[in-house]
Formats: sequence, structure tokens, C-alpha cells
Amino acid sequence: MPEVVVQKFGGTSVDCDEHRRRAARRVIATRESGRAPVVVVSAIGRMGAPYATDTLVQELRRIDPTSPPHPREMDMMMACGEIISTAVMATTLQSMGCPAIALSGGQAGIITDGEFGNARILEIHPHSVWKAIERGQIPVVCGFQGVTTVTEESEHGAITTLGRGGSDTTASALGVALSAQAVEIYTDVDGVMTADPSMVPNARTLAACTYEEVAEMAHQGAKVVHPRAAEIAMDHGIPLWVKSTFTDHPGTLITAEENLRAEEHQRIMGVTHTGKIAFIRLEVENEEDKPAVERAVYQLMARGGVNIFLVSFSPNAMSFAVTREMYPIARDLLDGMVVPVGAAPDARPASRFYIFKFLEGLDLAYRNQRPLLRALESFIEVVDVPGTAFENGTMVSVIAGRHRQVPGVSAAIYETLTGAGIPIIQMADSDMSISCLVPENDAARAVRLLHDRFDLGREKTE
Amino acid sequence: MAAGQRGARGQVSFERERGVYDLQVSGDVAHVVAVVGGEPGRTAGIQRVVRTLADEGIPIFLIKLHRTAVSFAVDGGRVPEVERCLQAIGVDVRVRRDLALVSVVASSMRDLTGVMVSIAEALHRAGARLFGVGDSHNSVQCLIDGAHVEAARQELRRTFHLESPHA
Repeated sequence: MPEVVVQKFGGTSVDCDEHRRRAARRVIATRESGRAPVVVVSAIGRMGAPYATDTLVQELRRIDPTSPPHPREMDMMMACGEIISTAVMATTLQSMGCPAIALSGGQAGIITDGEFGNARILEIHPHSVWKAIERGQIPVVCGFQGVTTVTEESEHGAITTLGRGGSDTTASALGVALSAQAVEIYTDVDGVMTADPSMVPNARTLAACTYEEVAEMAHQGAKVVHPRAAEIAMDHGIPLWVKSTFTDHPGTLITAEENLRAEEHQRIMGVTHTGKIAFIRLEVENEEDKPAVERAVYQLMARGGVNIFLVSFSPNAMSFAVTREMYPIARDLLDGMVVPVGAAPDARPASRFYIFKFLEGLDLAYRNQRPLLRALESFIEVVDVPGTAFENGTMVSVIAGRHRQVPGVSAAIYETLTGAGIPIIQMADSDMSISCLVPENDAARAVRLLHDRFDLGREKTE
Repeated sequence: MAAGQRGARGQVSFERERGVYDLQVSGDVAHVVAVVGGEPGRTAGIQRVVRTLADEGIPIFLIKLHRTAVSFAVDGGRVPEVERCLQAIGVDVRVRRDLALVSVVASSMRDLTGVMVSIAEALHRAGARLFGVGDSHNSVQCLIDGAHVEAARQELRRTFHLESPHA
């Protein structure tokens, strides 16, 4: 049996006849090299294209704008984009003299749990994929979808979709199930790049990086392989390649650190930027009460469905970031919020009431509640918690594996940005990256400056 | 699991469970607050602090900027060097020793809501004060008092249903 190579083609690689033929030529070249390609495809085109997933979903949503479609039917509709794309790709291969067979996720044996819209792959029974290979056909499998085993409604299971990064996940998972030699993710750029090339003209394609680094890059905003796909490949030691459908660049190898030669791998490997972010600061003067107030804020944000990040603690303040989309919700939740706090933990009755006063002019609830508390002030202390927000932030991140063992990376970042007059609102770091919240209109300049500071545009030569 | 068995045709299961699946702890960490004063001069003051530490070869992490200070974590063994070199440039240093870094590890952290709340609640029940937080694609790292590590570990394990006593 020949070695299997899973080749996944994203939306822009299959969005017109010419692009599909280019993709098909890559598949045929793999077959001619003596290996067995297994193709995974995304839906044709991106938002606005007639068979793109977003376009198809609108067909259901417009039926009754007041009520969202049932997730089961939604998944069935969302899966159509890949089914169309798979049939078109298989037919393209056939038209080029290459036997091929289109398989839905279910036909390829991809079994998921029943979480419509965000299903998790549980098992793969790739019998039909193997049979196609044995018959000399190229299996073309729908990305992004699977099927449940049995449901109340259907003994043959229901179609599910895998959520974000679904087609990459399908490719990685099939790679594991077929013990593939490699999984190749084809896209419209040459590989994993040191920065967004639209922002940094001398951004470079990396020869190689680790699974963890590519997952962190995706986490910090780079449009590369989805972390879920990297995780599956990492857990099973399958090499991932990111390549261009449209050029002959060798692409980027993603693998475990021990498989990389020093000359292929660089400790600081990229600069990313992500998100429209609002940074909220709440002044809590009493350090003793601050943990209780913090917890109340976390609980409130969680109940409101607001994810918080970039959390930091000062002796007399707490601060955190939210996405700008969620900022009005966070602000409304905080405005007028009252937190009773005891002098001792869990003391009853509370000895102090903290009330959040959030931004002048946007403090309607505070202005309504504050007079009510005034009546209590002879019995308990009422403390105003002023809130401020920096609304127009973006996170710029330097991806640097194990930077905590290397002194000076944070200093270099701080000096580079502040030296260029770019204010850093807050910093955050993990074992894989160092991030700075900067004003959105400085983001492109910040990315370029950091890219230059760490010399990422230059090929590593040692 | 058939993974890794080339040509295997049996059932394969592989995608990780969603949510938190591991805890990792490293001890002997210190938290340092270097007071640099407010603006004007704050930015230059922070710059001097981070540059001095870099020149001394001292790695720092969990860096946070405050109105009159910069705080960071450092390996406990490097504290005397930190104090010496920052005091030498006239920076007031406050150090909290014997802390531990507890990492809560999860798949696709950004897709999970409420993890920070659950962590804060668990640490509160354990009596562990949180001094710093960092997050990556697969973890939230919390700097807590070293004396509360065991209680924190137990509470976090309970909160995230981590069965293994070794987690």
C-alpha cells in the first residue's frame, strides 16, 4: 500500500475552475510520485460567493428572521458547501484523467458527538477511503463535517459540522486515521509567515515551526492552521505542511521541536496582531476588599457571557480587556453594580458597599442607584468604584517559544514601541508569547517595528 | 488507539476532550513590584527597569504595567540580583517570595467561556490570593502564594473534574 498524503484545499484554492485545476495538478503530482493522495476540501469561496457556507446559512435565516433555525437543520445546510465543493473537485480530477470519488464526512467514516455547529470527532472508520485507494481512485472528502452514530430521529445519524477550523481538523484527523506520511494544508500564501504580509512587506515564510508555536500564532490572531488541527497532529506525531496552491514555494513544516534542525528553527518566529479590544480599569482603593470585588466582577462578566483577558492586579485597581464587540455589554453590566463586602471574609452583614460608577455620561444605573444607597450611609460605608476604559486597542504579539528562559525579549519589545512613541496600555505574556495592547491606529507600525527589531525579515543562516 | 500504526484500518479516536484537562505547578517564584513613579518619567522608568534586568541576564515574566510601577515574576533564586541591580539604579523594589505558578491547561482556551471565573473561585475557596495571570493558546497561568498550592491544586482539580490525583 502506498504512503498516504492528505491534501487539504481551502476556499480560495477551489473558488474557480482555474484554481481547482491548479489544486488538481498538485494532487496528480502526488499520485505520480507513487504516494496515495487523499483530498479534503472546504466550501467554494468565502462570504458572498454563491456556495460559500455563510451564503447558504442566510437561506435558512431569512425564512424567519425572528427565530434562529434549529441547529440540526443549520448543520445540514452548512454541510452543503463542502458537499458541492467535493463533487466539483472530484469531477475536476476525473476530467483531467484521474479517477476520483467524492465522499461526504459520514461516508468517509467521520463520527462525531452530537454538538451541532461545534462537533468533536470521536472516531473515524475510514474503510471507504481505503477501498477507494485500493481501487486506484483518489478519495475527495468533505471537510468540516461528520455524522453522529445514531440519533432519536435517524438510525443513520445526523450530519454535524465541526465549527471553526473544521476543514483543517478533518485533514489532520484523517491524517491520523490513515497513518499518513504528512498532512498538507494548501492556501493562498506560501506558508506560515513571520507577519501579515499586507502589513509587513518583508514578511518571510518560515521554513519550519513547532505545533505549539503555530497554535499560539493562531491564538494571537494569525490566520494559519487552526490550533485544533495542530493539536491532533501533535498528539499523533503527524507532520503538517502549510503550502501555497499557487506557487512552488516549499512551504512551512510544522512538527515537534525535536524533529527540527537548529538552522530551520528560530526562537522568535513571528509578530501577530489581533482584535479590537477595550481595556477596562476599576479603582478599588481598599486592598483588603479587592479580592472580593474582583470575584464579583468576574462572576458578573461570566454571567453576561463576556470573556475577559489581559487581567492584571495593582494594589489599588483591577483591570482587564474585553473585545470591543462585548464592551458595551461589559460597561452596562458594571454601571451601577453593587458589591457588598464584609470586613472579615463572609461577614454578615456586609460592612461596605462598593458601587461601580462607569464613565461620565454612561452611568445611568449608577445615578439611579446611588441616592438609594445614600440612605444607608449612616449604617455602612458606601464606596464609589470609578471605572475608565481605553476603547481603541489592538493586541500586538511577539511569538517566542520559551522566551522566559531568555532575558531581554520583553525589554526589547518595550524599548522598541515606547521609543517610537507608541504607548503600551498593558502587557501580557505566556510561555509562548509576549503581547502588548497598543492603540489600534498604531498597530501596523508596531508590527513592522517589532518585525524589524527581531530581524524576522532576514533568512536565518547559522 | 490505532494512531501510529501505519495502514491500520480499525477504529481510531483522537480528538482531545474539550475544556481543562491538566494542571501544572512550578514553585519558587517571586513577584516583584518596581516603583518608578507616575508620569512624566514613568515610561522612561519602566524602560530602565526592564533594560537593567535584561543587561543583568535576568529573565522576567508576567509583566504588568501600573500607574506608578511595573510588576513581574522572576525565578526565586534571582531575587537578590534583582534587588541589587534595581536598587543600584534608585528603584524602590517590593518583593513577595515563595510563590508558585499554577498552569491550568485546556484545549483551545479562547473558545472556552468562564474559565477565569472558575479559576478565581477555586483559588478563593483554597484561600490562595492571585498575584498575576498570563494566558496562552492552551493555558492560564496563575501566580499564587506557595503555601496554598496544595489546596489550590485540589480545588482546581475538583472545579474542572480532573480525576487523577497526579494532575
